[in-house]
Amino acid sequence: MRNNFLMDRRTCLRGIGASLALPLLETMGWADAIKGKAVKPPVRLGFMYMPHGVIMDQFWPATPESFLKSPPPALESLRGVLDQCLLMKGISGVPISPFNGAPHALELSTWLTAQLPDADTRNQINIAISADQIAANYVGALTALPSLELATMPQTHKENQEGLNEGYYSHCSFRSPTQAVPAETNPRSVLNRLFGKSDKAGVTAPADPLDRQMLDLVIGGAKNLRRKLPQDDQHKLDEYLDSVRAVERRIAAIEYRQKEAALEKAGVASSKRKASDSPPIEIKIPVGDKRSEYMQVMCDLNVLAFQTDTTRVSTYIGSTPNGVSYPELGFNDAHHSQTHHNNEAGKVGKVAAITAFNIAQFAYMVKKMHSLKEGNGTLLDNCIMMWGSGLEDGNKHARGNLPFIVAGKGGGSINTGRFLANTKGNQGDLLTTLLACAGVPLDRPIGIATKQIKEMMKA
Amino acid sequence: MTKPETIRSGVMAMTLWAVAFTLSLPCQADESADDKYFATQQVEARRAFREHITPFVKTYCADCHGDKKMKGGITFSPALKNPGTASANKKWKQALANVKTHNMPPEDADEQPTEEERQKFLDWMGKIKFLSPKDPGSFVIRRLTKVEYGNTLHDLLGVDVAVAQDLPDEVFGEGYLNTLSPLQTEQYLGIANEVLDRILAPKDAPPTAMQKRLFGELPAPGSDLRTEAKKVARSLARSAYRRPASEAEVGVLMQVFDLATKNKLAYPAALRLMLKAALVSPQFLFITPAQEAASGQAIVPLDDYQLACRLSYLLWATMPDAELSALADNGKLHEPAVLQAQVKRLLSDQRSRALFDGFGAQWLGLGDLKSQTFDSAKFPQMTGEMRSAMYDEARLFFDSIVRENRSIVSFVDSDYTFLNGTLAMLYGLEKTVTGKEMRKVKLTNANRGGILGMPGILATTSFPNRTSPVKRGVWVLEQVLGDHVPPAPPNVPALEKQDKNKVAYLTLRQRTELHRTNAVCANCHKILDPIGFGLENYDAIGRWRDQDDTGGKIDAVGELPGGKHFTSPKELKVIIAARKDELARNLTQKLLAYALCRQLEGYDEIVVDHLMETIAKEGYRMQTLIAEIITSYPFVNHRIQEPAPSTPHAK
Repeated sequence: MRNNFLMDRRTCLRGIGASLALPLLETMGWADAIKGKAVKPPVRLGFMYMPHGVIMDQFWPATPESFLKSPPPALESLRGVLDQCLLMKGISGVPISPFNGAPHALELSTWLTAQLPDADTRNQINIAISADQIAANYVGALTALPSLELATMPQTHKENQEGLNEGYYSHCSFRSPTQAVPAETNPRSVLNRLFGKSDKAGVTAPADPLDRQMLDLVIGGAKNLRRKLPQDDQHKLDEYLDSVRAVERRIAAIEYRQKEAALEKAGVASSKRKASDSPPIEIKIPVGDKRSEYMQVMCDLNVLAFQTDTTRVSTYIGSTPNGVSYPELGFNDAHHSQTHHNNEAGKVGKVAAITAFNIAQFAYMVKKMHSLKEGNGTLLDNCIMMWGSGLEDGNKHARGNLPFIVAGKGGGSINTGRFLANTKGNQGDLLTTLLACAGVPLDRPIGIATKQIKEMMKA
Repeated sequence: MTKPETIRSGVMAMTLWAVAFTLSLPCQADESADDKYFATQQVEARRAFREHITPFVKTYCADCHGDKKMKGGITFSPALKNPGTASANKKWKQALANVKTHNMPPEDADEQPTEEERQKFLDWMGKIKFLSPKDPGSFVIRRLTKVEYGNTLHDLLGVDVAVAQDLPDEVFGEGYLNTLSPLQTEQYLGIANEVLDRILAPKDAPPTAMQKRLFGELPAPGSDLRTEAKKVARSLARSAYRRPASEAEVGVLMQVFDLATKNKLAYPAALRLMLKAALVSPQFLFITPAQEAASGQAIVPLDDYQLACRLSYLLWATMPDAELSALADNGKLHEPAVLQAQVKRLLSDQRSRALFDGFGAQWLGLGDLKSQTFDSAKFPQMTGEMRSAMYDEARLFFDSIVRENRSIVSFVDSDYTFLNGTLAMLYGLEKTVTGKEMRKVKLTNANRGGILGMPGILATTSFPNRTSPVKRGVWVLEQVLGDHVPPAPPNVPALEKQDKNKVAYLTLRQRTELHRTNAVCANCHKILDPIGFGLENYDAIGRWRDQDDTGGKIDAVGELPGGKHFTSPKELKVIIAARKDELARNLTQKLLAYALCRQLEGYDEIVVDHLMETIAKEGYRMQTLIAEIITSYPFVNHRIQEPAPSTPHAK
């Protein structure tokens, strides 16, 4: 297994459990060159979602050879970075029987789990830990935030298909089989979360130095309360305790940043950034309600979080399967209603436009990453960005051949600039492969996975 | 072989249970007659289960839903072994719905029950509720919702409720997502900082009025600050935790005080940090039990602090006020007359609008109206103002039934509503009702008045560009009458997929009926569709129309099972309004589940039966219904669950 990190897994896990007197960044940070040894930047892993599938013949390149020169219409926005991308045709989704009547409740929730919910407890969340959270468990302790979850629409969809919990419609990240991770939809909150309450991106606001120790005492008190509770209630309190610990750690990380900034000001070079690295990008929060501007600021935040190594794992639910429409494209029809197009030209055209729009936002993010210098290459060189959908084709709810785009070289682990027209594998195999490329060791395959897809990787 | 065992262990459990019960509630003599009746019914139910239900399930269901095969992931084996458990109960409900609609056994099954067998099975299933032990359920700790959190901060510290507006909205429903993210905890900390900045004086400035109320006067020079701080800690915790704090809990706050002092913070700043700690503590953010129950008791009444919280968060979505807190301090609240009087008082207060925002809107399905998509070319009327007016109409209507203690039948059949100029356009009343203000309007058109003809509801049960008779039918059955409609079977082609040429000149009704020619679909649709079609005179945003989008005349004629015939929405309304028992039972069940923050199961059904008697006797009045729920057995009692073993992995 590749190892992009400076510490072994055991140390890392110990870090997660420790009470975190000081952030691990100091000893584990990737650019603290250890006694002159050159250190590689870490690999970051990002996911971006669009529901309802694509128009297949507008998405797949005609041939592997034509991929770079004359890409299909859906990929037009990626021109210029196609050599940084990898397309695999032939990845199948999770078969959804016995939930045949719930294609949309499952397209998102199976996307990163590659597994179906438990049928007996279907009205509760009970599925599997998702690939992004597996990665976050492994590398999350190394950064201020274990992972970043973003969404364009609020996750409050209400519809009941096959008796499945409503949360399955709008969540794809699961911290444990029974815990869905909520996503943030407000760019301002995301910015605050990354850098503390601050009006300038990349500039950390001061944290109250006593808050961390105060939270520690509160945790102590909560443990007392926990002891007296029955098991179910203990789980609820555990969730609370976990989240308070995460906050403690983030405060610690902010303190560390402040110390670092002070040292730098005093002329002591402690920064893990190289002088040649690009400075942190600017974030401008849009005022209107234009979807593209909104999605682009979310993409910017994702880029900034990766660039500043504030987190190494992100998931962005670019759109959800709940009656979303795209007025910006000049029509008000709901995305879902158009995907049942029966090959009518009008509807097909609208689905194609919506798909191209979503991919264009992904392309915006990828291009930005490609424009930023990091180490001896670009930020994108050290990222694995996956864009995709949970259906092949919304018209028939097909799941045999899911559309995915992978961008970024994953620190040299992924062989990009190609279209693999005949890939054999499933969604779980794909996720397993990507995690392997990110250097995350797995103790079991993800969902229905049986193997890694070796053709995607650099030999 | 397994049968006698099942029964023996069942009896054993029941006996133990009865012992526990008599021990814990020795004074409630009036319950004993009910308990006797319950015990008799239980014996009967067990016999019925053995003689009728088990053979039916084994003959018609077990081949596909047994130990060997679990089609659709469903097996009845565990439920047959322990029919009275909560999980078995869910299975029986599913089975009941599917057998009732002839969905099961499937058409191609080897053996089909006769109509008589089927009916018998359905009748016996009615008894299955008696198999569950008498149990009020446990008092589940839960986090305050966003609204409750904002209100509680307002009542406790006098800040605007909007201080909580950045918190994410909760997803409600049967499986309320209780996930708490670090992000949210961080927001709690951020909000606490913000609140303290607002209510406390800056460094060296004289204390604010709120500060004096919370922290008292500054201690006289020379007094022991730690002793003074401890008094403050105790009083802060009493209000913030909504119950007296334990010594240990006060101790934690004192540790925070000591931390501040050690870091050379002045006395007011140290108290500030202490208050901040209280505001991010689980005791503030969650509703937590007050005291440990004496061991050995399985079921005990809620203590008065828990009762005050349960009541206050149910009707006001906020912490108990001074009067409720005083009654709890004096140990008076649980007295039935006192509790009844408090219910009345809380309902007459403006804050009881929380019952609509928390429960009513969810019940009627209006929670998402603001964000629901409508085809803006077809329905340019669906502006933000229109949506707000629709929501407010339902809210004021709900409120009027509660405040004026009307019969719950008025939900369906009323001769008034609440309109402003915007909304009046949908009623065709724009000449008489103008301006932004919502006001009570007397209706003369009997097609309107009541939730079935209310635009907000007609809109949320429609698609963005057309009505959905099926959605409306399901809504009436599930939300108004409390029926359970099974989901559509897999692989049903939606209307959109019908052959375009074939259906081009058909109205929506004709198209839907075409789709119903499939026998599998027909079972449910023959119940759903007549109701939905009966409301076709209302378009997708609730305007009256005589023609469908295709130009075809609306045909609102229909018949409900039982031969009730109608030709217009107003006649449909009358038929549904006459089903008082179902209306009341449905509302009682939904409100009880909301009040208990859990799904109803097992014994709760018996509780509802009891409530229904009183509610019917008193004319189905809304306040009676609410008061009955609040004084009901599961609301005022709880089962003590053993604390989990101390090692997390023990099992």
